[in-house]
Amino acid sequence: MSGFVSTRGQVGFNDLKIPGAWSRKIGKDLYEVFIGPQHPGSGHMRIIIRIDGDVIVEADPDMGYVHRTMEKLGEGREWIKGIPLYERMAIHDACNVTLPYVRAVEQLLGIEAPLRAKYLRVLLCEINRIAAYLYGFGIFGVFVGHSTMYMWPFGDREVWIELADWLTGARLTHSYPVFGGVRRDVPADFTNQLRKAIRYMRKRLEEYRKIYVDNPVIRARLEDVGVIPKNLAIELGITGPNLRASGVLYDVRYNDPYEVYDELDFEIPVFQEGDALARVWQRVEEIKQSLRILEQVADWLDKHPREPILHDRFWKTAPPLHKKIFETEGRAKLVPLYALLKVPKGKAYAKAETARGEITYYVESDGGQKPYRVRIVSASARNAIVFKYILPGHRVMDLPTIYGSIDYFPPEADR
Amino acid sequence: MVPPKPVPKTKPRRGIFHAFKGNLEALMIGVKYFIDPKRFTLIYPKEYNKLREGYRGFIVLIKQKCINCASCARICPAAAMKMIRIPEVDEKTGKQKVKNWPVIDYRRCIFCGYCVDVCPTEALYHVPYHDVVYQNMAEMYLDLESFQKPPEYKAAEEGIPVRYIVDEERGLVKVPYKEGEK
Ligand code: SF4
Ligand code: SF4
Repeated sequence: MSGFVSTRGQVGFNDLKIPGAWSRKIGKDLYEVFIGPQHPGSGHMRIIIRIDGDVIVEADPDMGYVHRTMEKLGEGREWIKGIPLYERMAIHDACNVTLPYVRAVEQLLGIEAPLRAKYLRVLLCEINRIAAYLYGFGIFGVFVGHSTMYMWPFGDREVWIELADWLTGARLTHSYPVFGGVRRDVPADFTNQLRKAIRYMRKRLEEYRKIYVDNPVIRARLEDVGVIPKNLAIELGITGPNLRASGVLYDVRYNDPYEVYDELDFEIPVFQEGDALARVWQRVEEIKQSLRILEQVADWLDKHPREPILHDRFWKTAPPLHKKIFETEGRAKLVPLYALLKVPKGKAYAKAETARGEITYYVESDGGQKPYRVRIVSASARNAIVFKYILPGHRVMDLPTIYGSIDYFPPEADR
Repeated sequence: MVPPKPVPKTKPRRGIFHAFKGNLEALMIGVKYFIDPKRFTLIYPKEYNKLREGYRGFIVLIKQKCINCASCARICPAAAMKMIRIPEVDEKTGKQKVKNWPVIDYRRCIFCGYCVDVCPTEALYHVPYHDVVYQNMAEMYLDLESFQKPPEYKAAEEGIPVRYIVDEERGLVKVPYKEGEK
């Protein structure tokens, strides 16, 4: 595998013509091919592979093309301004990626969101999760050349985005959770539309199975490709559905429940095989469980009357106008205190299960209006290493399959 | 309440007739949608999406309500909302004085809606549309005068309004917008 002598600079470039990829000869029967970062299926990321004939002998994931210095930018702005900022790591999973930041700051402030706000957070988190999985399916579908599977999930994702839009006022960048609660209550008739969407999605998943997941052609391409054995998955520290598809039970919602996940009745599917097909099934099953969660949340919201969705610390200073607007429009206005918020000195740590796995935030405050340090470890950053260990031994043809099945999302990894 | 529980699963087995059955199923579903396709493309600008109340679109200032508190400028995460100093004559005393008024820079705004939510007097509101065109970048930096007017919504002048609703059978469907719906 390793041990070849690199002849960098001695051999002319482009000895091997592959459309869209830059390549050069580096040894006898050995070519180096640069896949990406201009998206011939790699996203804003480059995978450098060395191939012998058609077989990958070495792979190097090369990330960092969309690095935006998120952590440093966060240090220069007030606490609340971090929420729209960190959201931009994975905008289609906005609530999940910002929730641990909000929760860490809440820990430092010593407050907790009211129960209704917790249910609303779970509501948006699961809507985001489904939408993000569908996004992943769409990309995966087009990677393996199945353009129907590209169009369908993107169309169905629109259902969930429409619901999120209705709830929060924005399609993707919701900025929904704030310290001590959430910004809006559910509009009238929202839960009925949500139930319709749930029933629709259940039917759709069965159709996905027929046209894609169980389609013999697709199955032949996915089965036993890119197997991540259980011990390797643990060793590499990968996370999320990829980890669970390799037979490891780890889900933050289960192992370290946050918000109201410990009160909801749902399952954590754990697939044993660890190949690309198992990873797709893993996501299909998880969408089913998310739908189950949403059903319970909708029932809960219907049963309980509207109550304040911001913690008393903020809500008690709200003028009567704020309260009137909350009652009529369901919009919890922010008090000016949010802009000037001083967070007590201390360190906090919070994590959550995003659509791509565990995300962790370490937040440190020096007692000022701005964070002293915010450290983020996102799920995709942890999953990227997989390519180095899984790709060798596969044919180039399998690269898009493996890449798609990992559901790697560069902006989230690069931060 | 019942806590979540793990459930081990395996991929469905591949039966002997899988190749036949699987292909047939895939083809059948293809035929089904060939005959009855699900489409909800917005024929823009012939139609335009009438967004729901509460959509975080462009922002308008009601100057009479504004108390010059600068909360909106302070909370803006993108530094899009700025306070500008405008000299004016006090009506009662007739003296010259300078007041701070908020203006918005749409080159920077990320439509997070914090400013609208933080304003203590509801002097700011969102218009429920976002498809607004500017001729050049400089125009996107509004002055106090233009900040008080809802931006021109060209699509609404030419197109017919539609709305997307969730349907149990067909997912998202496009329906004509009825006057008065929220
Ligand atoms: S919507 Fe957000 S970014 Fe835009 S002006 Fe208001 S606070 Fe600033
Ligand atoms: S927050 Fe409202 S009242 Fe205060 S300056 Fe801004 S627009 Fe005026």
